[in-house]
Amino acid sequence: MLLTLDILTTAAILFIVSIGLLAIFGVLKIINFAHGAWLTVGAYCAVVTAKIGLNPWAALPLAFVIGAALGGLAEHFIIRPLYRRPLDAILATWGLGIVLGQLITLAFGRDVQLTPNLYAGTVEILGVDYSAYRLVALGIALAIGTLFALTIERTRLGLSARAVIMNETLARSLGIDTGRVRLVVFMIGAGFAGLAGVLLTPLTSVDPNMGVSWLIGAFMLVMVADASYLALAAACLVFGAAQVLISTFVSPILGSIAVAVLAALVLRISPKGFSRA
Amino acid sequence: MLETLPVAERAAAAPRGRRLSRAAPFVVAALAALALWIAPPFLDTFAVNVLTRSMIYAVLAVTVDLLWGFAGILTFGQAAFFGIGAYATAMILGAYGATPLGIAAAVAAALLAPALLGLAVGWLSFYHRSTPLYASVISLVVPIVVVQLIYSGGEWTGSSSGLVGFDVLPFEIEGYFRLAALFLIVVTLAAWILVRADAGRALVALRDNEARCAYLGLNPRRLQIRLTASLAGVAGLAGFLFANASGVVAPENAGFLFGTELVIWVALGGRGTLLGPVLGTVAIDYLAANLSGDLPFLWQLLLGTAFVAIIILLPGGLADLVGRLWRALPVGRRVPAPPRLVARTAETEATAAATPILKVEGLAKAYGSLTVLEGIDLEIRAGELVSLVGPNGAGKTTLMRCLSDGTEPFTGAIAVGGTPITGLTPNRIVGLGVGRKFQVASVFESLSVADCLRLARAPHDGLSPVGQAETLGLPQPALDVLRMTGLDRLLTRPTHLLSHGQKQALELAMVVALEPRLILLDEPTAGLTKAERTTIGTVLKALTAEGRIAAVLVEHDLDFVREISSRIVVLHQGRLVLDGTVEDVVGSELVRTIYAGGAHG
Repeated sequence: MLLTLDILTTAAILFIVSIGLLAIFGVLKIINFAHGAWLTVGAYCAVVTAKIGLNPWAALPLAFVIGAALGGLAEHFIIRPLYRRPLDAILATWGLGIVLGQLITLAFGRDVQLTPNLYAGTVEILGVDYSAYRLVALGIALAIGTLFALTIERTRLGLSARAVIMNETLARSLGIDTGRVRLVVFMIGAGFAGLAGVLLTPLTSVDPNMGVSWLIGAFMLVMVADASYLALAAACLVFGAAQVLISTFVSPILGSIAVAVLAALVLRISPKGFSRA
Repeated sequence: MLETLPVAERAAAAPRGRRLSRAAPFVVAALAALALWIAPPFLDTFAVNVLTRSMIYAVLAVTVDLLWGFAGILTFGQAAFFGIGAYATAMILGAYGATPLGIAAAVAAALLAPALLGLAVGWLSFYHRSTPLYASVISLVVPIVVVQLIYSGGEWTGSSSGLVGFDVLPFEIEGYFRLAALFLIVVTLAAWILVRADAGRALVALRDNEARCAYLGLNPRRLQIRLTASLAGVAGLAGFLFANASGVVAPENAGFLFGTELVIWVALGGRGTLLGPVLGTVAIDYLAANLSGDLPFLWQLLLGTAFVAIIILLPGGLADLVGRLWRALPVGRRVPAPPRLVARTAETEATAAATPILKVEGLAKAYGSLTVLEGIDLEIRAGELVSLVGPNGAGKTTLMRCLSDGTEPFTGAIAVGGTPITGLTPNRIVGLGVGRKFQVASVFESLSVADCLRLARAPHDGLSPVGQAETLGLPQPALDVLRMTGLDRLLTRPTHLLSHGQKQALELAMVVALEPRLILLDEPTAGLTKAERTTIGTVLKALTAEGRIAAVLVEHDLDFVREISSRIVVLHQGRLVLDGTVEDVVGSELVRTIYAGGAHG
């Protein structure tokens, strides 16, 4: 039972952390290596909220807005010139991540920051005491997933985004302002990354380099999911399960590299990853 | 031989200049070695220590530059190979001491362990239809895995605190400085010679156009794997030197962050220039050591900002800027001498008339529920020039693709000269004697005309890993194509400056230079002028007239088809509807209906 809960909540956290990266990769075909920095920015929004004495949950909208605003700037000045050089875009966004990390260090110092717990305590379900926050995270992941699905399937933006994913040239010739779609999607993806940063604060220590350790896992999951949010959910479940099981029964160190190694092997065997199923 | 005198004259005047320019890198290397050998007494201890480390890192930068700048493989993995070399050294020297045997074992392990892992990583990263992004993904995973293994290594690897206190080579810090300098100069010189040599062109060709490499019969996969493994070995040796010089190894030395730092140094210095990354690495690492004590965060901030700016605004790095200034000076502008063209006697042995060159039986192909080809039977013999016609969407290009790539999922049998090609990659089918010209001219954009042709000859003549051949031997038909299109006077011109028609002609010459038994041409005359079309028609007729090779071409221009074909095959909606002589097909009611659109109903 504990194991099942661990698997579900781990998958939920992986999903929350990667969804922003997936949105950007799906539409822009660009890997945002500054994703880790956005997680960090989000987490520091929680720090700031606590410092000025607001309700910890107020950090969520703040992080979304700041993440999206920074995302808009990054798209305009850094991503846009590099659409035709996707490998260079990886490097430039990595550089941007370094810059953001250092700016945060200059502002807040490099020490670990303490943040108030968003939702403390434990809940007893089916005979085990379980961290209440992890269950809340599971609910939030489901909510984000639903919101994402509705945006993609039901809104005009979602329709345009799907058109750009399938055939950007055709989409443009049909009068869709693809540049605008890219900008808006990048801002939404960055906003979700900021949001994820806040949601990570109860689970991990907050310091200027916290994002990097989450980046690789999210990146591998997105590679496997190949622009489909359903495939991402499946990948989070499968690899989350592998991570929990290997950590529990073999070794936590091997568990921490399970996602990366398994995802690389899956890609080798089936280059389209989970999106085919 | 060709009667193009201007080329011959220029070539005759060249040798002296060429000999000079060939000796230049050796002279520069010797001077650099001398300067660095006598440098230590003039530097303080701190500078000697830091520069020793910087020069070892610069060796890694050279390997990253070869992989990324030249061969187009963006890698973060060199750090892992470096770390493995360093750890192997520390572990062996720690266990056996710096005895001659211990040192020999450490060198061997530092070279072989990373090289073997490099082989495995190469195998994982490069396969038929693998993408550059996937190789980068793997190169990211490798250092992460290696670092976690180091963490879980317990006493063996010292876990998170690393290894320290092992025996090292009996040198003073000046000795390590000189050793690192020599190592750096040797590696840089070797890399310099390699990339200037004909074999170095193959690396650039891989970066430019991997598919064209495969369709020239080169095995891109094998080249990439070999490069990965051998440069992993070099990185391992750098690790050996590092472990000895610093006396301590730590998990960070193998980490993904160090891997990204290497890429940053190479990018700032100038990818694809060798000297740029070397100087960039030494300068940045030395500056970092001096500045990061006073302004640690500011320094990282500046470096990150510079990196982003360089990637966006100056992808060639600082070396590109220097190079542009240099070329603006009168001394910097030197036109390289073109190689001398020589005729090569044909090596294709005549295929026995009894076995067809190409035999297709019951070929069918579908994309999901959409059937593109169905029930195709076709036999082609030497000396035939077969035109494949049919309206758009009839399956002509798909058929060509199946004929040249056995990994395409199709059913039925295709045999070239009696050998079934199912499952064979394009380069192996080229080995059977099939040459393919694509619809959109597929050449190597950053190479010269002569280099493109030389790569086409590589499966026959090999490529020199140390020098540039002064002659370029091509079979007579390829020379004819060059002469008729005037390309023989443009041998040193970079192909991205050629016109559309010249690129088409160059690709045809490359395919002909392969000396194939079967030439596949997808719309060779699309977008060409009347004169260029006539030239290509003449070449094709001459090629097949000798009765040794066959050609299949997809063509829309029916006048052109009528003029040159010995046989015409009509495809319609994935089926072969007519196969006959020019008169049969041109007079056919069916063909008229198909082209008029009647048969669709």
